[in-house]
Amino acid sequence: MNKGIRNPGFRLFFKLSLMVWAVCVLYPLIWTIFGALKDNQQFFLGKPWNLPKLPLLWSNFSYVWEKYNFGDYFVNSLVVTLVSTILGVLLSATTAYAIARYTFRGNGLLYYSYLSYMMIPTFLGIVPLFFLLNDFHLTNKLFGLILVYMITAVPFAVFVLVGFFKSLPKELEEAAAIDGASHYATFFRIMLPLAKPGLISVAIITVLNIWNEYVFALVLVNDPTKYTMPVAIAVLQGEMQYRTEWGPLFAALFISMGPILLFYIIFQRQITEGITAGALKG
Amino acid sequence: MKERTAAATVMTKQKVSTRIGTAKTKRNLFIASFILPTLLLYLVFTVYPMFKGIYLSLFDWSGGSETYNFIGLANFKEMLDDGIILKAIRNDYILVVGKVIGFMMMSMFFAVALTRFHIKGSGFYRIVYFIPNVLSIVVVGVLWRYVYNPNLGFLNSLISLFTEKPFEFAWLGDKWSIFALLPPSIWAGIGFTIILLVAGILSIPSSLFEAADIDGASQWNQFWLITLPLTWEQMKTSVLWIVMTTLNGSFVIVTIMTFEGGVDNATQVMGSYLYMNAFKFGKFSYGSAIGVLILVLSLITTATLQRLMKRDTIELT
Repeated sequence: MNKGIRNPGFRLFFKLSLMVWAVCVLYPLIWTIFGALKDNQQFFLGKPWNLPKLPLLWSNFSYVWEKYNFGDYFVNSLVVTLVSTILGVLLSATTAYAIARYTFRGNGLLYYSYLSYMMIPTFLGIVPLFFLLNDFHLTNKLFGLILVYMITAVPFAVFVLVGFFKSLPKELEEAAAIDGASHYATFFRIMLPLAKPGLISVAIITVLNIWNEYVFALVLVNDPTKYTMPVAIAVLQGEMQYRTEWGPLFAALFISMGPILLFYIIFQRQITEGITAGALKG
Repeated sequence: MKERTAAATVMTKQKVSTRIGTAKTKRNLFIASFILPTLLLYLVFTVYPMFKGIYLSLFDWSGGSETYNFIGLANFKEMLDDGIILKAIRNDYILVVGKVIGFMMMSMFFAVALTRFHIKGSGFYRIVYFIPNVLSIVVVGVLWRYVYNPNLGFLNSLISLFTEKPFEFAWLGDKWSIFALLPPSIWAGIGFTIILLVAGILSIPSSLFEAADIDGASQWNQFWLITLPLTWEQMKTSVLWIVMTTLNGSFVIVTIMTFEGGVDNATQVMGSYLYMNAFKFGKFSYGSAIGVLILVLSLITTATLQRLMKRDTIELT
């Protein structure tokens, strides 16, 4: 077994570098929490690295939650994320299953037409997409956003799930066919439950992407009651040019960050593996 | 789909019994029902807008119905005289080049540190380093805007500790502010390339390093002759990923940190200029033309890079 590099000076240098970068990553997050507990005076008079003074200003959270409607934005983001993830995974699982387990004309073409979407910049279609949804009266509606999110989630999900369905043993289908199960029954009763790990990891990545998405949400929703979290934070920050309320801004940041950090801690392995798999499509 | 099924049925009917014929119809109906709903939505909401975007770029249109004239490539000719678009392209490529260099050097450094030293807690570091990648760029942008804040920001307060007068440089209000967007972009994305390279290094058989040790090769030589060539594939993937996400996504960090492209368009990028033209000025066809420009440039850049980085893959036996 290779012991790796043992030169002590070398080791120390690399070790320190690793620690420094870990601090660079973690400190801004800790500091967001501290900022969320300060009042304006502490921002203007104190140093940025000062700890928040006691008593901690927990009211910043309730202030953005109620006065700046972040409670509503949080719910909007949650609804949009969950609904489009479920629909997106369903749309992808069916297509991926057909592509992976059945031979039919256009099979490969279909697969590559989904894959190629990942190479095309979103901005190319953004103007026509806006007018398309406008014609359907779907701009400024959460449903319009859900529609776009669920379908843009498909290419990545199809890519991962095709690989997953292909890896399942062929005997399963044959056994099901001998038992007289229909194509639908085979899919819903046998294949879908077996594909659960793949479905979960796809769903996790989709949740992350949608929760953080900004461009579509900015273009397709202009009604302030329908904002999602990223747009609401951007707007709140824009208003800071005229009115400074640092504490509440940081509280809003934390409200957006908190759930996703928790989510990452729980699903850390699936997330890193899933995102890396997506990029390795080549 | 149905016609094809019917045709297929007709062709085989003479030889095959009708029972198999209905089984085939059932199978085809099943495939159709699994493929068509997704395909239809995909065509309507992603494929159609993209082709329509290319189509629109050849017109003169500002949203209403009063003017909708075919003008050929006039939008693209207009770009040649548009100083802002040239600045935007320049800025996009400053970000691309800066990010590729910054990402690759730093992530290779950390990937080596995480794998070749067997340092305790490397699992912990790997988890921590990926955290910024799961945050929204909006959140990252707001955080870093505060870091750069002229009077109360983190950076200037830190520098002021060493200067007599308080240091109040406006990092985001300068002619060269585009460079100030590099550190947040690197901070936000580097976790991903570290993970890729770590996986690459871990897949190198340790016997290679052992043999090099026995032959007395220095650590530095081992890096150049073993680690680097054998992680070439991962580096290629990383570079292409950086280029794609930058040309496609720098809009977000630019608008969040410098609103409409900074002072005198100092930080304008193609995406933000597209957004401004289309959704602020109502120049929808010019905006679409910028969309086509982004597509063309990203295809050219990735194709060129793929060619430049082409190397015979080293097969380990």
